[in-house]
Amino acid sequence: MNNENMLAKWLNNELDEKELKAFMATPEYATYNKIKEYSAQLTIPEADMDTLYSRIEANKNRPVKVRTMSPWISRIAAMLILALGVTYFVYTNKTTTAFAENGQRTEFLLPDNSSVTLNSGSEADYKAWNWKNNRKLHLDGEAYFKVAKGQTFDVITTMGKVTVVGTQFNVKARDNRFDVTCFEGKVRVSSNGNTILLTPGMSVAFDNGKQLDMPSDEDTQPGWLTYEVNYQHEELGRIIEEMKRQYRVDIELSDKQISTIKHSGKIPMNNIGDALEIIETAHHLKSHKAGNKIILSVE
Amino acid sequence: MKDNSLKGICEDIIFANFFKNHAKSLRNYLYYKYGNEEQAEDVTQEAFIKLWENCANVPLDKAKSFLYTVANNTTLNHIAHQKVVLEYSKKSAPKNTDNQSPEFLLEEDQFKTKLQNAIAKLTEAQRTAFLLHRIDGKKYHEIAEILGISVKAVEKRLHGALTELRKEIDNLR
Repeated sequence: MNNENMLAKWLNNELDEKELKAFMATPEYATYNKIKEYSAQLTIPEADMDTLYSRIEANKNRPVKVRTMSPWISRIAAMLILALGVTYFVYTNKTTTAFAENGQRTEFLLPDNSSVTLNSGSEADYKAWNWKNNRKLHLDGEAYFKVAKGQTFDVITTMGKVTVVGTQFNVKARDNRFDVTCFEGKVRVSSNGNTILLTPGMSVAFDNGKQLDMPSDEDTQPGWLTYEVNYQHEELGRIIEEMKRQYRVDIELSDKQISTIKHSGKIPMNNIGDALEIIETAHHLKSHKAGNKIILSVE
Repeated sequence: MKDNSLKGICEDIIFANFFKNHAKSLRNYLYYKYGNEEQAEDVTQEAFIKLWENCANVPLDKAKSFLYTVANNTTLNHIAHQKVVLEYSKKSAPKNTDNQSPEFLLEEDQFKTKLQNAIAKLTEAQRTAFLLHRIDGKKYHEIAEILGISVKAVEKRLHGALTELRKEIDNLR
């Protein structure tokens, strides 16, 4: 009696009379019969088939297949995507800024351990995100770079771009003057559509976009790092500007002519007395203090 | 019938008629399977839209099996199976009024509850087959078609379902 589908046959009224009688004689029959009787009364919640049909009608010509999600799942998904998006946006656009005030210098490391020394009154911005594949730094002022080996490294200034591969170099972008000196490796300088390749010892300078001839240099690092800047036919006006940044003082010229005098030689940047004396002796000038100012005039 | 069996489903009227004849069964079957009305309706909708999109390739006499194949293959991010909500229809009056003593009514109510709980404890395969037969009145060969198994296998499942239900109910006594 207890084969594997007898109950199914009975449920479907397929048992013959003899089989049925035998089954009805068993003690379990009462329960089975009740199950059969009451399970026939079972119902489930009705579906609104008209609404379902109109949903199908509305989607008959859908352009792409869309799987409906329950509303709160899509809400959570939307919030997650939004949160991720905002985080991504904020993170990728986060700019790190390094700054050196007048009279101060700042040395910092980039994410790849390239080192940057900012001279007084300079600012550098870069994005730390994806630094390895996008080594790019905006510079306003002067800085000395020791760049770790890798792909290109760009220094962007308002006057031009410097592209380098594993090298040491100095970039100065102040007012209308743009100076680049290479100390190791190779440096490509682009400014106003000109591209110049620098090898160690070479310098290039642009004044108001005009390229200046620069003598080559035997130094292994820029002079300002050791507080001694070697100038070659430089206008005194620019040297005075540099001294104002380095010494954090106000220097006034009594005569505008003074600023156009050309100076060659080293100027210390850690001893204002010596610096002034060198300039005074070389160009027959004199200086005196007036409050917080130093006034430089013709002798 | 035979003539439009190839292009049939693409005709709006035939599609609508086909929906009327089969959508409720499909939805009920999916409800037994998922225990969730919303999912059952979503998958029903999806299956009918797929049928519409493929109407040129599906002859009318294959449409039903296409429908169930799509439904069975639709994988969902399964929300935990909820209990299938089962109720007893109110019209089912007892045949014998003499038995309507308070004791009988109480016993009847207790049995109904036990049956509901016992059905909830069946495996998905047993419950689906059992409810398709008891609620939708599907024939064994129809259940076999829906589930993609043989009639013999359907009978086995129902036999198993009844055995389990009986055990569950009698052990509770």
